Amino acid sequence: MADHGLYVYAVIRSGQRLPANARGVGGPPAAPRILREGAIAAVVSDAPPQLRARRRDLLAHQELLLALSEDGPVLPMRFGVVATDEQALREQLAEAGTRHLATLEQLAGRVEFNLKAVAAQNALAALVREDPAIRQLREDARHRPGYAADLRLGEAVATALSRRAAEAGTHVVRELTSLAHAVAAGPEVQGCAVNASFLVDRDDVEHFTATARQLAFTHHERAELRLAGPLPCYSFVAGQIPAPTAVT
Amino acid sequence: MTMTTTTYSDEVVCRPRAGTLYDVLELILDRGMVIDVFVRVSLVGIEILKIDARIVVASVDTYLRFAEACNRLDLERDSGSTTIPELLGGGVAKSVGKRKVKRAAESVGDTVRKAVGGSDDEDTEEEAEEQEQPRRRAPARSSATKRRRAEA
Repeated sequence: MADHGLYVYAVIRSGQRLPANARGVGGPPAAPRILREGAIAAVVSDAPPQLRARRRDLLAHQELLLALSEDGPVLPMRFGVVATDEQALREQLAEAGTRHLATLEQLAGRVEFNLKAVAAQNALAALVREDPAIRQLREDARHRPGYAADLRLGEAVATALSRRAAEAGTHVVRELTSLAHAVAAGPEVQGCAVNASFLVDRDDVEHFTATARQLAFTHHERAELRLAGPLPCYSFVAGQIPAPTAVT
Repeated sequence: MTMTTTTYSDEVVCRPRAGTLYDVLELILDRGMVIDVFVRVSLVGIEILKIDARIVVASVDTYLRFAEACNRLDLERDSGSTTIPELLGGGVAKSVGKRKVKRAAESVGDTVRKAVGGSDDEDTEEEAEEQEQPRRRAPARSSATKRRRAEA
């Protein structure tokens, strides 16, 4: 087989084993293996030729990380990291071993939850009811219909919907932050008023999700909340776990 | 165990979707650890994210649709049935009552007529009634004009 490098999935503690039926990226799926270097280890497989961010490979990456997370703390790699060869990877592991081990300790027994808030699907009626400025624009557009009036009304509605979703999302993030060990702002996602990740103790998962559900109900006329998890701790691998302060 | 995603809507429905990628795609692609000296797969051309409610795309088109939906809201009656995806998807055309379509077409038609200097020529494209895409409003005008005259 031609050598395309080593695909790196995660860094784990040396003592941890591969989950049963572990499958890697590529078609047919590559067989993952563990490369131990002192107290830490990397989960790797041969990298497939022409690796791209395909759905199949993204899923393989994600599912292997999820399975690994069941058995111990995991430092998930971002999708698509390939080491040139085993030697280069071993050097990296040896060099950063202490730091990785410290981060693994911090993540032990914890999982990530990701919260996204988008404008609620039925937000329009509530908005028109509650916002006098929108009501006025709507009246204007009715009494003096026309392109310009419609444009003014529509723009005001679009702006207000996203503002209300962001307000609700920020409030929800603030509430959930008090139940999390850490919180990190997620990458900006189009259409998403809020995108934030929480580091949650496994013992608190039930309470966390129940609270999220309650908050979702409270804010349902402003934002629709999407909670994903438990996830591998993608957002908390930096070593220094950010203080649990509110993100916007 | 697989990851689950829960969407909380107004009914607080829990919809676990095992193995769902797209709710966390940006985390897989944009978070997680990188090692600088290693190669990383190119993400050029990747279509990064699609969130269900594709809302608030700042464009004239979107604004006009919001305005239309807003205008046909009946606040006294149940008005919770208009969903944002419906607004932004093609489905809007089907859910709009003919009366309201005519109303929208009229107002656009009036504006266009003023803009072009008020020729009241009419043609007979009845099928225009089914075309409510914004870029097709010109034919809808003539149809609406014709119907209004018929009612007058």
